[in-house]
Amino acid sequence: MARSSVLRSTAWLWLLATVAVLVVGFRQAIFVAPTEATMGNLQRIFYYHVPHAILGLVFPYINLVASLGFLYWRRRDPLKALTADALAVASAEVTVLYVGICLGSGMLWGKPAWGIWWAWDPRLTTALILWLIYVSYLLLRRFSPAGQIGVLAAVLAVFAAIDVPIVYMSIRWWRTQHPAPVFGGGPDSGIDPAMMPAFLWNLAGWAMWGIFLIAFRFALERRRQIAEQDAALQAIEASLETPQ
Amino acid sequence: MKYLGHVVDHLRKDLRLEWRSRDSINGMLFFVLLIVVVFSIAFDPAGYPTTTRQISGGILWVGILFASITALNQSWTREQRNQVLEAQRMAPSPASALFLGKALANMLFVLVVEAVLAPIFVIFFNLQVLGNAWLLALILPLGTWALVVNGTFFAALGLRARNRELLLPLLLLPISLPAILMMVQATTGVLTADLDPIQIRTWITQLAGYDVIYTTVCILLFETVLNSE
Amino acid sequence: MTWKTFFDFSTMAHRHLVFVYVGVWALQGGYLAWTAWNWRRIRSPRS
Repeated sequence: MARSSVLRSTAWLWLLATVAVLVVGFRQAIFVAPTEATMGNLQRIFYYHVPHAILGLVFPYINLVASLGFLYWRRRDPLKALTADALAVASAEVTVLYVGICLGSGMLWGKPAWGIWWAWDPRLTTALILWLIYVSYLLLRRFSPAGQIGVLAAVLAVFAAIDVPIVYMSIRWWRTQHPAPVFGGGPDSGIDPAMMPAFLWNLAGWAMWGIFLIAFRFALERRRQIAEQDAALQAIEASLETPQ
Repeated sequence: MKYLGHVVDHLRKDLRLEWRSRDSINGMLFFVLLIVVVFSIAFDPAGYPTTTRQISGGILWVGILFASITALNQSWTREQRNQVLEAQRMAPSPASALFLGKALANMLFVLVVEAVLAPIFVIFFNLQVLGNAWLLALILPLGTWALVVNGTFFAALGLRARNRELLLPLLLLPISLPAILMMVQATTGVLTADLDPIQIRTWITQLAGYDVIYTTVCILLFETVLNSE
Repeated sequence: MTWKTFFDFSTMAHRHLVFVYVGVWALQGGYLAWTAWNWRRIRSPRS
């Protein structure tokens, strides 16, 4: 039990550090970073939008690795497979959260900047399809019968991960043909060095937060799995005690 | 060669079963006719001739998409009766042969429906193909296979799920979005001759690539899904 | 910017800036709260 209290302390420390970084990031973004020339204060949305967009492209790969691990361990070591499955669902949910925030903040930026809520440009469209794919992953998990959730979800995760680069390439080719307004020329296309600290603090803060959320959700899923196993064990033992 | 033999056996079985009742084909044909009529009312080809030509590729593929989903939904149900699925699992032939046979059968059904749909579509929408019409003979099968191969796989994925019929489009559509983009762009490019041949060829190549990638993935992963219980 | 100009709601741009920041905290905090609530609800199995 010493191990679990070490984990608990680490978790709390990490959370405190994350909140501290996020507070610094907020201060940098709102109060310290210079106002952008063309877009004005609206541009400060990028300090939240872009980190979420970047992280939303990283977390699906955690899901992919966990799903592949599940498929590999399914017959070889069922307990490891169960752990992999918990990581898969945790990273998928956090992906949906982050990509959803990326879409929402992108739209809220777009309306004042361009006068339209949405443009079918490569980045935003890819983000939308990514979000739809991982929502469908979560729906499959919800609709599958209990014993099969892990396998079916892991298989879909492989399809999803393969699709992401295909989506990006096809949408980009589409938009090379029919150009549309590009939402967010984005800080990665020549960011003013004075804005870098704000961007980096927020990137670090939201990355730490994302890791914390995945770890917490993972622990919750493990707790749920163990509770389920205990309940099943009790049911079996109870049926054995019943006089024949 | 034996593998191909297995695939052909599964294919013939599905075709024969379907031929006996012809439920699926008849349903799909009528459904597709109704879709064309609904789209005609919705998009008014007589009132907006240029616009409808420009979106005709999209309308055609949306119609095919709806028709295929109705066929795909019930393509695995005949394996569920009389515990046929258990027998399939125990059969010595590789699981992917079962999958390919069924996917090919579904492909044939949808192609038959398309062959009927396309002329009706041309009539109701007053379409004239402005580009190279022979390219359509390439685009239609490639696009249909993209929908059918993933659709057959996801229909098997959701076999024991509750809300099985709803689950199929929920899974199929997000994954198929890039393929839908490719097939619609290629078809519209041919119909309107707005795109030059190199661009159309790129879309067709992308679509062929999508087909190859996902056929491979489906074949590799089908055994896992069949034995998932 | 200052706190006062941050909470200035006069233009759409300013409103949307506040919506994004508040919205992000709300969504992230909401997910954390949901996870924490479930953590309480599913009793720790071993202790």
